[in-house]
Amino acid sequence: MPNIKSTLSIFLVFLSFYSFSQTEDVYSSLFVPEELKTKANAVVRYVTRQIIINDYDDMVIRRKRIVTVYNKEGVRHAKAYEHYSEDTKIKNIEIKVFDSTGEEIKKIRKKDFTDASAVNGGTLYSDNRVLYYDYTPLNFPFTIEFKSEVHHESTSYLPHWMPIDGYYLSVQFSELKIENNLGEELRFKEQNFDDLNIEKVSKYHFKAEKLASIEYEAYSPKLSLIAPRLSYALDKFMINGVEGRNGDWKNQGKWMYEKMLKDKLVLSEQTKELAVNLVKGVKNPIEKAQLIYNYVQQNTRYISVQEGIGGMQPIDALTVDEVKYGDCKGLSNYTKALLAHVGVESYYTRLFASSKLQDVDKDFVSFQGQTNHVILAIPNNNDYIWLECTSQTNPFGFTAGFTDDRDVLVVKPEGGEIVHTKVYEADDSVQKTTAEIALDITGSFIADVNIITTGYQYNLHQGIENETDRDQQLHYKEYWDNINDITIDDITIVNDKEQVVYNESIKLSSTNYASKSGNRFILQPNMFNKVTQIPPRYPERKLGFKIDRSFKDADEFMIQIPEGFKIEAMTEGKELNTKFGTYKFKLETLEDNKIKYTRTYILNKGNYQKEDYKAFRDFRKKIVKNDKTKIVLIKV
Amino acid sequence: MKHLFFIIITVVSLNQVISQNFKFGKVSKEELQEKFHPIDSSASAAVLYRHESISFYFTESDGFMQQREIHERIKVYNKDGFDWATKKEYLYQGSSRFEENMSGLKGVTFNYVDGKIIKDKLSSEGKFNEDYNEYTKINSFTMPNIKEGSVIEYKYKITTGSLGIDDIIFQYRIPINKLDVKIATPEYYVYKKQMNLKASYYPKIKESAKNLTVPFKYIVNIISAEETDVPALRAEAYAGNINNYRSKMALELSAILNTYKVVEKSFSSSWEEVTKTIYKSDNFGGQLSRSNFYKDDINTLLSSVTDDFQKAFLVENLVKSKVKWNGNYSKYTQKGIRSAYKEGVGNVADINLLVTSMLRSQGIKAYPVLISTRNNGIPLFPTREGFNYVICMVKKGESYMLIDATEPFSTNNVLPERVLNWRGRVITEDGNSQWINIMSQAKSLESTRLNVKINDDFSVSGKVSKSLNSYSALRYRNKYALTTEEDHIKALESDKGDLEIAELNFENKKDITEPVKVSYEYELSDGVDEVGDKLYFSPLLFLALKENPFKLEERQYPIDFIMPYEDKYLINIMLPEGYNVESLPENEIMEFKDGDAKFQYILRENGRYLQLKVNLDINNPIIGSLDYKVFKSFFSSLVEKQAEQIVLTKA
Repeated sequence: MPNIKSTLSIFLVFLSFYSFSQTEDVYSSLFVPEELKTKANAVVRYVTRQIIINDYDDMVIRRKRIVTVYNKEGVRHAKAYEHYSEDTKIKNIEIKVFDSTGEEIKKIRKKDFTDASAVNGGTLYSDNRVLYYDYTPLNFPFTIEFKSEVHHESTSYLPHWMPIDGYYLSVQFSELKIENNLGEELRFKEQNFDDLNIEKVSKYHFKAEKLASIEYEAYSPKLSLIAPRLSYALDKFMINGVEGRNGDWKNQGKWMYEKMLKDKLVLSEQTKELAVNLVKGVKNPIEKAQLIYNYVQQNTRYISVQEGIGGMQPIDALTVDEVKYGDCKGLSNYTKALLAHVGVESYYTRLFASSKLQDVDKDFVSFQGQTNHVILAIPNNNDYIWLECTSQTNPFGFTAGFTDDRDVLVVKPEGGEIVHTKVYEADDSVQKTTAEIALDITGSFIADVNIITTGYQYNLHQGIENETDRDQQLHYKEYWDNINDITIDDITIVNDKEQVVYNESIKLSSTNYASKSGNRFILQPNMFNKVTQIPPRYPERKLGFKIDRSFKDADEFMIQIPEGFKIEAMTEGKELNTKFGTYKFKLETLEDNKIKYTRTYILNKGNYQKEDYKAFRDFRKKIVKNDKTKIVLIKV
Repeated sequence: MKHLFFIIITVVSLNQVISQNFKFGKVSKEELQEKFHPIDSSASAAVLYRHESISFYFTESDGFMQQREIHERIKVYNKDGFDWATKKEYLYQGSSRFEENMSGLKGVTFNYVDGKIIKDKLSSEGKFNEDYNEYTKINSFTMPNIKEGSVIEYKYKITTGSLGIDDIIFQYRIPINKLDVKIATPEYYVYKKQMNLKASYYPKIKESAKNLTVPFKYIVNIISAEETDVPALRAEAYAGNINNYRSKMALELSAILNTYKVVEKSFSSSWEEVTKTIYKSDNFGGQLSRSNFYKDDINTLLSSVTDDFQKAFLVENLVKSKVKWNGNYSKYTQKGIRSAYKEGVGNVADINLLVTSMLRSQGIKAYPVLISTRNNGIPLFPTREGFNYVICMVKKGESYMLIDATEPFSTNNVLPERVLNWRGRVITEDGNSQWINIMSQAKSLESTRLNVKINDDFSVSGKVSKSLNSYSALRYRNKYALTTEEDHIKALESDKGDLEIAELNFENKKDITEPVKVSYEYELSDGVDEVGDKLYFSPLLFLALKENPFKLEERQYPIDFIMPYEDKYLINIMLPEGYNVESLPENEIMEFKDGDAKFQYILRENGRYLQLKVNLDINNPIIGSLDYKVFKSFFSSLVEKQAEQIVLTKA
């Protein structure tokens, strides 16, 4: 007996030592563990999220979130709001606020919340709504407790569990409990749990304790890819009253095609005739696709309307044809319908579009957070051509900067397939700048500059041709902000969409570019393509970093020295070779008092370790320094 | 010359008469075929015609109802103009009498295809009603079948029982070819009109009257404007909010007459009356006498202080610490000063009237001052809506002090920038009022000392010490007082080349009675260039102004620096061993417009040391658009001067 007792008491001690129970302490900022205060705008004191799945169309999520907020930046970490829509009802919602000693100072009931529409920037209309309360903090720190109960009729999107759901936010205690009353098991995927104090208490119960905050660092991948995250999904689900299937990507894609897409492709007889006429006499399917894509670009525009199941299902082709607008789903589906009618196969493709690269997770089938955009895939030999149907200006098949280099889900009638989109290598994304510069005896110059860009760099430049004259002039003055007092004399831009080459020719002049010092002129020969920014310095870099895209810059500037001057001093050049890329510049004297400056800078995409950051910064530091190289001219 | 001008005008307007018919639906082939705007060729879209008519009709049940009719015809030239095919009206909802309702929405898109005009009607699919929040709903619509070259036309009505009339807008981001505005108000409601005097475009306003007999006899007063070729409004840097320069007209109800046409209720006809009306409100003057709830706190706080300004300072700090600003502007209290004090949160009036009330309770001469904030524009005619903010003034003898307790770092006479607009109207105990100047008289000073030592490897190290007062201090505190030291350093290092900062010291971070003092050690690896046997560097190093922010060739609107300021630098450079001065930049003093701005650059050699003084004085913070070109080149020269190099040569 005594033996058992002592074991039990040891067990109890163990429990109370290691397991955290919610006591009054979490309402007072005085009891925040010291180590969680560093680099934290707020501390999650206690979070519990309970998910009760009663049926495929009956799920309840109860949240309780207690957060201590240290400053203005930390206020948003309270996350004291709930979204709702047609198939989501908020049953309870409540906020309590506590001062630093844990004394309750305010209580906010459901009726005090603001009920507002949750339409985001690019959307014209959506039936998504939000209940929130705009709390003005009286003093810092304070602690806020948020409680809610929300009933869902859809089980397609199950929210990730991300205990650290913001930068500069540490976590004292956070847990997820799932009560699954279905015959079916949930699937799980854990990411970035390594070495962290996260415990899988049971199959459906996860617990995190004492997680340090994550500080934002330049060039790091987005937070959701580096912070601990638990994804979970059901193989069978309901979405707005429609039954769905996940299984593997093939199955989900098949379900999607059958239930969401197949019936949306009908066109009017008139439009069918129009499509046939558009491609009259053309045999090659890619040429046909070009003609159809061009028609869609010239005749539609992007307008986003999200109602009911419209979050997942496209508006039918007939409607888009009538109003000539739609969102990414509607416009892609419409283009697909037109293509299908002229015998060109294409596939509705779901993906996560953003300037940063993000894959559809090929190992975990779900909806939550996987995609935010739709494009079209046209099979071409063993590859695909990708069409961005929301853009009225994109060249045919151009994806750089938004949908390139990532795993996407191609939805075929026979099922879904994960495919990687086009990668733009350094030689695909080139910027070539050439210039003829004539310097005069006052240090002023006139120059003819030509910039030719392709690939990702095309994407960075294109669009200037549509600006007003005034704004084009401003653009080039900002682009060359290293030159004081520029006058732009002429701008000619040719956007060759067929070859995807952007060609800018600018005539400009500037007074006193070369700075005078006695009878000398000092000037920087790299006038038109300078790197001036060094990535920020971190005394101790904590996160790895990522360069999303490779590119190549090639520059050649011919500088005519004014009569009566000669070169007193200049360096010959410099070459840098690193794993992040290469840099080289060269200065040569030519006949007729000319200087030729040539420069190449290549940056390599890749995932790099945090230990490499200093070397990366050094590389850029040296480029900045070398881009400032000087030539000294002296009066003869 | 005059004749020529006349002929051109006739030809142009004749042209328009021939090709344009503004009846709904009568879009011409010429309008559809136009490829770019004839006057503003870079415009992405243009309003071919805008008609806005405001009138009142009588109903037995609700009396006069306001009706606003809009009819617009818009040409879309290119894809950037597609946004104009979507329109959103934010309408008031809530109390039924004042609810705004849209009706009669009709829209058509016109395209010109193969020599034919194709029409597409706006159908229910393109119309959306959104319940935005408790007080606002959005009625929006988007036109079908939009392409480059489309012309869209739509009309709708908005009715409400409210007597308040929305501002009449005369200018858009795109040109307006023809504008036709009419406001007809029954004689029982007297409206005062106010044009935006900062605008660079003024419409010609006509006024007339008309007799009506149905349903009874009364006179309708008509304000109208018919304009052609209103230029587009385009933003300019350093002009503040471009909306301040939009051509528009406000109408304010100044009196309601009874059926005998005698004033039943008067609102405002002079600044004196405007102020009285505001003062009489329970949410303004009515608040000032409430004192029971804070009496004890104040008595203890001020027991040992005798000076009125000192008392005011203590009260200001008490309110700052007890009541936080919720971000709302208003001249009227939101919850009242009592609950603001109790709950610890309030709007501008809650906070600053609380300060005023507390000081008055102590017998101190404290008065509310009505303000029109920078984004509210400058009211030149007396209107209640002209004021949207209130601060507090404390008087001691002939001197006075201004207080705004909404921001932590603003202090006596150093007010948040939003307040610094024109002048304020101070109201004394009896409700009488007068103007006072609220703009900063004293120059804000930022003074920097930079020590420079050039090391053997031609890196540079040394120390920077800064002192900032007044608005320069306020800005610095707003930016850095609440950030961590690490982020502060990161911000100082950002875009300054290979600069490393250490030993950062930030004094008087939150002590607003003292100037901000900042000092740090620095090391700069790329400040000096060795070319041949010579060293080249610009003596301001990373502190030099690198580019001229004024890049436009000309401006429509003034540059507004908000307050006068002075930037002073004192730089001490120790010459490296083994090098002598080969050449130095010349000393220079430049002035803009009789000293409105001044720049000095004085460099002296003193043994192994160089000492440089650089001063920039902005004495008049407003630079008119006519002076812009001269100012731009003044600024350009000072940027150039700062880039000039010192040349050292091996001894």
